[in-house]
Amino acid sequence: MESNRTKLIELLSNHSDTYVSGESLSKQLGISRSAIWKHMNELKKVGYQIEAVRNKGYRITGVPSELSASSLQWGLSTNWLGKNLIHHKSIDSTQFSGHDLAREDAPHGTVIIADHQTKGRGRLKRQWHSEDKHGLWFTVILRPTSLEPKDANQLTLVAAVALVETFRHLGLDVKIKWPNDVFSRGFKLTGILTEMQAEQDQIEYILLGIGMNINQEREHFPEELRDKVTSLKIETGKANDLAHVFHEVAQRLEEKYDTFIKEGFQPIKREWEQHAYRLNEWLTIKTKDSFQAKFVGIQHDGALLIEDEYGKQTALYSAEIYW
Amino acid sequence: MLKVQEIRELIKLIDESSITEFKYETDNAEVHLKKGTGEAPAAPTAQPSVVQPTEQSAPASTSEKPEAASQPEKTAEKPAEKQEEAVDTPTDYDHEITSPMVGTFYASPSPDEDPYVKTGDRVEGNSVVCIVEAMKLFNEIEAEVNGEIVEILVEDGELVEYGQPLFRIKKA
Repeated sequence: MESNRTKLIELLSNHSDTYVSGESLSKQLGISRSAIWKHMNELKKVGYQIEAVRNKGYRITGVPSELSASSLQWGLSTNWLGKNLIHHKSIDSTQFSGHDLAREDAPHGTVIIADHQTKGRGRLKRQWHSEDKHGLWFTVILRPTSLEPKDANQLTLVAAVALVETFRHLGLDVKIKWPNDVFSRGFKLTGILTEMQAEQDQIEYILLGIGMNINQEREHFPEELRDKVTSLKIETGKANDLAHVFHEVAQRLEEKYDTFIKEGFQPIKREWEQHAYRLNEWLTIKTKDSFQAKFVGIQHDGALLIEDEYGKQTALYSAEIYW
Repeated sequence: MLKVQEIRELIKLIDESSITEFKYETDNAEVHLKKGTGEAPAAPTAQPSVVQPTEQSAPASTSEKPEAASQPEKTAEKPAEKQEEAVDTPTDYDHEITSPMVGTFYASPSPDEDPYVKTGDRVEGNSVVCIVEAMKLFNEIEAEVNGEIVEILVEDGELVEYGQPLFRIKKA
């Protein structure tokens, strides 16, 4: 049932400017024309606007304003990312659900997305503010077979490049704070939390958790965050259709991931450095002690490359950086 | 500068080899290892002020013992806070959990929570024992075997290397 509906949405969305005849749909899906008609009624119920013209066929003219698995998959042009998609109106955290599903063998590319998270998670269980319907909060389950666990951390930079390109496409110039936070004018726009389950030489699964601030107004954020975070709407003045933003980001995540797996980190590194926030500036860095160093780029494996006052370079894999 | 763990590895390797003496020097540190001959251990050669007390780790215990004559001698110049050191002895463990990547070792899920495991805890194959983080990728490390944690080799917040032992387990 569900997969027929997904296919139906796909077929119609590929021909959004023309009509697709009931006969052609029925052939392609291998179901009767009356079954097609039933599906159309179901789609209308969840908010699709469907035009049906005698002798011509069907056409989708509008997608639901509410997010649903259907609206998120309608118009999604990816090959594997989001083909299996679970939408929740409210959930504790898409990461928690991701762990559960991954342990139950959910396939590579599964997306868990929620309108609202009651326990949105940040790094080290810091809370991530995920306000109802104003942003995109989702987790992607990844099962790379050819990637070694020790190289998996490069995925966090891969995801950041995909996010930057998405925002640029939507008209906003943004920067990446090493390794993977996306900033606009010094305010945080997205956060990524990546978790891995792996053995010494094999990755079981990776959860790429992404939070994107899209349609929030400044007053939607808790007071203590207002001077630190921002949203696409605050930055551009325009509200965005969340499903559309999801399609854009999903497509780029898939593209960058495929490039990374096929060609390695080098093409990603070049793109990452083009968008690096505060490149060639002096920063305060804390590992065990705090010190000042110049941020000169990233190493071949994504590590932060810094330079001291004598020009001596060090690569860091893990550090608190005060930007 | 050599890490405690690297010194441990060195001692182990030297102990198994025919090398009797080993010296390593960088700008600010010097490590001098000398193997006992079965007689009285040779006296440390570095300046007295920087001689490290030699401590021997016993199974599930941190108590110091007099050094056995057959143990390798070790002298290391290290910062004062790095006093914790152990000569590799056949402690009672049969499994080591090693780090799958370079990163920061976290003993607990978040700074204000209890550590995942303590020495003496029983663990199962899928028990999470720590997190190693690098470049914001958080890797929950599982015990992989059933048994008891007999030694925790790193501290919360410490940087760890690829393949570095983190825990020792006595299998059940």
